[in-house]
Amino acid sequence: MAEVDCRGRTVREINAEIRGLGEGDIVVKNPAARHNLGVAILKHARVRFEGSVGYYCGGLIDGAEIEVTGSAGWGLAESMMNGTVEVRGSAGNGAAAAIRGGSVIIHGDAAARLGVSMKGGLALVAGNCGYMAGFMGQKGTLIVCGDAGEAFADSMYATTCFVGGRIAELGTDAVASKPAADEAAFLDATLARYLSAEERKSKPAGRDFQKVVAGRKLWNFDKREWKIWQEAL
Amino acid sequence: MSSERVLQSSGTFSPGVIEDIQTKAESGLYRIRGYGTLRERRWATFDDLTFLPCSLTRIPLEGYREKCSTKTVLGTRFAGKPIELGIPVMITGMSWGALSYNAKVALAKGASAVGSSNTTGDGGMLMAERENSRTLIYEVLPSRYGINVHDMRLADAIELTIGQGAKPGTGGLLLGSKVSGTIAEQRDLPIGVDQRSPARHPDFLGPDDMIIKVEEIREATDWKVPIFIKMGASRVFDDVKLAAKAGADVIVVDGMEGGTGASPAILQEHTGIPTLAAVCEARAALEECGLYGVVQLIVAGGIRDGVDAAKAIALGADAVYIGTAALISLNCNKPIYVEDYEKLGTEPHFCHHCHTGRCPVGITTQDPELMERLDIEQGAERVSNLLRAMTREIQMLARACGKSDVHHLEPEDMAALSMEASAICGIPLAGTRKVFGR
Repeated sequence: MAEVDCRGRTVREINAEIRGLGEGDIVVKNPAARHNLGVAILKHARVRFEGSVGYYCGGLIDGAEIEVTGSAGWGLAESMMNGTVEVRGSAGNGAAAAIRGGSVIIHGDAAARLGVSMKGGLALVAGNCGYMAGFMGQKGTLIVCGDAGEAFADSMYATTCFVGGRIAELGTDAVASKPAADEAAFLDATLARYLSAEERKSKPAGRDFQKVVAGRKLWNFDKREWKIWQEAL
Repeated sequence: MSSERVLQSSGTFSPGVIEDIQTKAESGLYRIRGYGTLRERRWATFDDLTFLPCSLTRIPLEGYREKCSTKTVLGTRFAGKPIELGIPVMITGMSWGALSYNAKVALAKGASAVGSSNTTGDGGMLMAERENSRTLIYEVLPSRYGINVHDMRLADAIELTIGQGAKPGTGGLLLGSKVSGTIAEQRDLPIGVDQRSPARHPDFLGPDDMIIKVEEIREATDWKVPIFIKMGASRVFDDVKLAAKAGADVIVVDGMEGGTGASPAILQEHTGIPTLAAVCEARAALEECGLYGVVQLIVAGGIRDGVDAAKAIALGADAVYIGTAALISLNCNKPIYVEDYEKLGTEPHFCHHCHTGRCPVGITTQDPELMERLDIEQGAERVSNLLRAMTREIQMLARACGKSDVHHLEPEDMAALSMEASAICGIPLAGTRKVFGR
């Protein structure tokens, strides 16, 4: 396993070394919450950051598997094409923003605007999430095992959201329902895949999640939907 | 006694206002259209300036012969590979979606033929555009539609777009008639939705974290290509300083005369500041922070010809973007297929119906039959001809002012024709030695 030490080096030097190490396992020591670590890794490397990272860790990657043992700042894995970004702690605003594929797994909590404008892939939060999660979600799946903040799933296109806890407030045009049997099975399988047995003890079963999708009333300008357009963000 | 009626309309409730109120009373919605502001230009514009060619105080170059360089280099501040263009007139970002495939490829070919550049737009990169572009600028917009790191790495420059002159502070619109199967797939959207793009980037909010965003893009592109930051012209003086602080190699300021494929009409008419004012504020901002000439400046918004471009360059721009003018070269508003203009309730020279997706000349449409009306090769030839003609106009004015390089044009080469232009540009009013407002 290759080792990269961040101490005394620029982000540019750190990323260049990670990219140059091929497709094996890489451990990155002392990340010290630096920004832009692990950006645009375009190969199937497994990279573990031992500590916390700043903004945009794993942003614009395609195919890498990234693990952060601490917490992450804003824009975690933003615009990722494919791969996995897994954070043992919590993540700041805009985690999984605009991702087009791959999986973002957050074992702690996620702050505001989780999965904003996501265009595919999976965003899974074991804990709670802040306000406006799923805002303008286009495709993909967003799962929050705990509670969700205000304006949840606001103005979405075709992202499918699931929440295991309480939703403080649904966003404009968001519609909640019970998951179908196959969706409940998908939730159980996904949690089993990404969360430990210990973590899963406190999570609801798939059938007890709420499913939230767009009501499609904002998809096209329509004067008959005046009330919803008045409140649209 | 004459039987002729004397009609007098209200200055407040003019026929246009009455029509606007009654249309909204029918629809319950704000009005949406394309093209940019339709207002009568009562503000100071480039037309309020005139060049002062050489006479006895300066010596002109031979207007039709002597060498006058048009080479334009952008991105010299931090980028490993600045872009070098043959001319200072570039094609602005217009999306594949707002424009047809044929229009995008024609623009790419036309710009490339004369050593210019073109720009992607809100919806990602069309590969045929990349293949036909000598220099391609890749826009990163708040929507991130079609965002793809591999495409980003194929670009010659990245443009981080904060806003657009036609509607600063508001995201784009692409009405459902243009969200075809192909466009929907490219943007990860359901077919036929009225796509309303976000105004805010999803992963940063302000100028401080934009610094980190710029670094991320540099990391993703190996610190090679220039980073442009583009903004709609509003608080230009402050915004330009913040963009420069964020690490921009090139700043693009898009004035209120800028065009759009679709936008609420009120934004096109009542937001932003004119392009003339924007270029002056942008230059002053860069001068104040000691970065004029270090950070390059591109000016956009209603640039029509080489005269507008030359005046923008004289006021401080390194290059100009054209959008609407380039589309007009592709036959926008040309009196052909007149019956289809009539179906839209308009006529050639008056059409601003880009938002409908029923462009009679195949530019702003996704309809295959309409798109076929725009021949790519013929369109590319017209685009390159326009760019050549504009460049020759710029050179003509530069030579008359005694400049062997178009970038040597300066404010002292012009006089103001109105007090407003004098005050905005810091240039004496013609017939006086006075700069108004000072």
